[in-house]
Amino acid sequence: MTRPARLATLAIFLLAVFVAVPFVIGLTGRTDFYYTLSSVALLAIASGGVWLTFYIGRINIGQGAYALMGGYVSAILVVRCGFSFWISLPLAGAFCAAASVLIGLPILRLRGVYFAMVTLVLTEVVRLLAMALSITNGAKGMVSIPSPGPISLFGLTIVPSFDRFAERNEAFYYLSVTIMCLCFAALYRLVNSRVGRLFVALQQNEELASSMGLNVPALRVLAYSISSFFGGIGGAIFVAIAQSIYPSSFTVADSVNFMLNCFLGGLGYVFGPMLGTLVLYFGWDLLFQAGQYQLLIYSGVMIALMLILPNGLLSIRPMSWRKRGRPLVWRRS
Amino acid sequence: MEQVVANGLYLGAQYALIALGLTLIFSLMNVLNFAHGQMYVLGGFVTYEIYGQLHLPFVVALAASAVTLAILGGLIERFLFRTVIKRSVREESTMLLAAGVAYFLDALILLLFGEKQRGVPKIVSGVFVSDNLIMPYDRILIAFLAVLFIVAFILMMRYTKPGRAMRALAQDRVAAQLMGVPVEFYSLVGFALGALLAGLVGGLLVAITGVNSGIGGPISIKAFTMVMIGGAGVIGGAIAGGFILGMLESVGLSVLHAYGDITYLVIFAALMIFLSIRPNGLMGKPWG
Amino acid sequence: MAPILAISGITKQYGGLVAVNDVSFDVEEGEILSVIGPNGAGKSTLFKLIASFVKPTRGEVRFRGERISGLAPHTVARKGVVRTFQETTIFKGMTARDSVIIAHHLRSKAGLAGFYLGTAAARRDEATFGRSADEILEFLGLRAAANEIASNLPQGSLRALGVAIGLAANPKILLLDEPFAGMNHDETRRAVEMTRAVRDRGVTLLLVEHDMAAVMKISDRIVVINFGAKIAEGTPAEIQKNEKVIEAYLGVEDETIGV
Repeated sequence: MTRPARLATLAIFLLAVFVAVPFVIGLTGRTDFYYTLSSVALLAIASGGVWLTFYIGRINIGQGAYALMGGYVSAILVVRCGFSFWISLPLAGAFCAAASVLIGLPILRLRGVYFAMVTLVLTEVVRLLAMALSITNGAKGMVSIPSPGPISLFGLTIVPSFDRFAERNEAFYYLSVTIMCLCFAALYRLVNSRVGRLFVALQQNEELASSMGLNVPALRVLAYSISSFFGGIGGAIFVAIAQSIYPSSFTVADSVNFMLNCFLGGLGYVFGPMLGTLVLYFGWDLLFQAGQYQLLIYSGVMIALMLILPNGLLSIRPMSWRKRGRPLVWRRS
Repeated sequence: MEQVVANGLYLGAQYALIALGLTLIFSLMNVLNFAHGQMYVLGGFVTYEIYGQLHLPFVVALAASAVTLAILGGLIERFLFRTVIKRSVREESTMLLAAGVAYFLDALILLLFGEKQRGVPKIVSGVFVSDNLIMPYDRILIAFLAVLFIVAFILMMRYTKPGRAMRALAQDRVAAQLMGVPVEFYSLVGFALGALLAGLVGGLLVAITGVNSGIGGPISIKAFTMVMIGGAGVIGGAIAGGFILGMLESVGLSVLHAYGDITYLVIFAALMIFLSIRPNGLMGKPWG
Repeated sequence: MAPILAISGITKQYGGLVAVNDVSFDVEEGEILSVIGPNGAGKSTLFKLIASFVKPTRGEVRFRGERISGLAPHTVARKGVVRTFQETTIFKGMTARDSVIIAHHLRSKAGLAGFYLGTAAARRDEATFGRSADEILEFLGLRAAANEIASNLPQGSLRALGVAIGLAANPKILLLDEPFAGMNHDETRRAVEMTRAVRDRGVTLLLVEHDMAAVMKISDRIVVINFGAKIAEGTPAEIQKNEKVIEAYLGVEDETIGV
């Protein structure tokens, strides 16, 4: 895409998100959509993290672990330590990033299905931890978590208290969507910078990358920790909106969904996870009408999708786009 | 002490069967069968229906479970996995397919059998009592059957033509093809067999612990854990993983129950540390 | 002058199999030294041991007096010991130019954060890398191929690309993995010239190779390996007359051993 085209797309997107959506919701009175879209936004952030691990050639089915971890850390900091949400949010992310360094160092050596298997177990581990520790209140979870407070700088209110909003869901919407945009902007910058190229080198051939002096283990852990940071942020936002958290707030199924979101949106595009999350979330929501057949239909469609488009939405791109060498497609490891 | 060991062995035998099914599928097709737990559950329900509801002999019920799952596994491989594997260059596709199948089976089982916990009448009554050991006879029987099936499986893989074909396929797909092994046929057989094993254990254990529609996922996770411990793609690894997990569970339950339900937490934490040292499990082939 | 690379008693054992058995030799700065031997002699294992892609069972490799065996491959590369790969190892989805630019990374002054934020230092680095990459590509005759995706390039270009990537990493010594394999007479001649030109840039060269004729033409010294052990070391002239070498290659055409 040319530069003007990209800027135009960005402008349209921002307009749609910050102007058009509130306008339409105001018109139709469907304020529950604010809640839906907030959920989409925070899930998209977590999916964005998973996307980054795909970018270095690993299949990450463990993001639910970091979402849960981040959510609990934020909840604990707010409820037990009296921190403001605006502080607990980055701290939750940082905690997850740090934890992921410890976890990632040994497991990132694994590839393919082996790595996926280990990450699958991670979500369970965090869930069990949440159940077992007293600081997380065990199975009872943590409830009545206060909503984010105001931010004022030099006497000027930058972010008003959420209680002041006529419609709290609207406030949550702006919160999550803003953070989502920031996260994806950061991700976009990352993959278009030299660091992103290094990640690509890593994913294409780790041996060759080593031979040119790239510190492969360190780069892998870097990508994984950024990915987990996003997971933690998503979890922390979830806690702010839902105002509660339980060990079952994020499960293995969520981890699988994050992966599915990336896959559907197209693994070659930074913004793929956003699109994928949107489609799948609304798809699932829509299927609520089907009652007890909801999961059956959803998984049926998922299976059908794999049969028809086994290479994700990527394969529908026109041929001309593929030849230019970006986005990059990788083979089985 | 003997009690803990006996329980561990009994559990281990069941788990080993589950792990064998999973590892067989993995070694033949490089596919992680997320639906393995659901196949176990389905096997349990079939046995429940045939033995518990229709009051046919237990052996018949087990056979029914085995056959049902074999057919299901065959269909899944033939129409779902084979298509995706052929057409996709990505590993994620097969994984997502497997996840989709798992969800689908979960939904199907819930619709067909409901969410209630189901059990069946004891197949053998009475309890073995000694100074150090209390073991119901039905558990002993089930354990014995499990070991029997494990041995049968190993013998089959070693000495029969299909078994050798599948081992060749697992070792080197291209070489096997060049040697004239019909790889597609044996992939199907292997998957069906793996599913069969899962269903068989489900049928065996419904006689002891019953079954309900929600335990599919947790069983899958246990199966993966076993494979991670023992190493993927290796028969010995699966058996080792199964018995080790069974033993760990038994030990953990008796030793740790004072601290709450943390047995699996400890197991997983230990697993992560173990994997840092031996990422491929005890006997696994290096991957990546 | 101290040798740039000192290999002492290097041994690699896989269970019962001894792939490389107590090999020792030195590489002098600025020379072209070739390691040759019949197929299966253990050359490629030796190569990987020297480049620290495989850890030795015994023995060590020292670069300018500093021990490098057992260090991580990227650390060894950063010290100036760079290896090339056979032409199947490439960044399939990247253009040739991009691959060479990435290979400059270990020369960067700006840190990762700098590259992310686009600091002045990072931008300077990027400009330098771009210029250097163009120069290297030109030097190796790859200017036309610069913007082609690597997977589209013919074998010969891929070889040159491998060397380009190696050069970009600013090596003091470059380890070439079978640079003349599968080449015809013309291609070999050009490759020999290119190899000499690389040495003339100030890079010491260690080749592992099977093609005797090329090796005889280009090497200052040769080390001969058979069954994992060193059986001869010397100038091309000495090696041609060496009985053990002739015996190892018994049955091979005179032409092949460069007589």
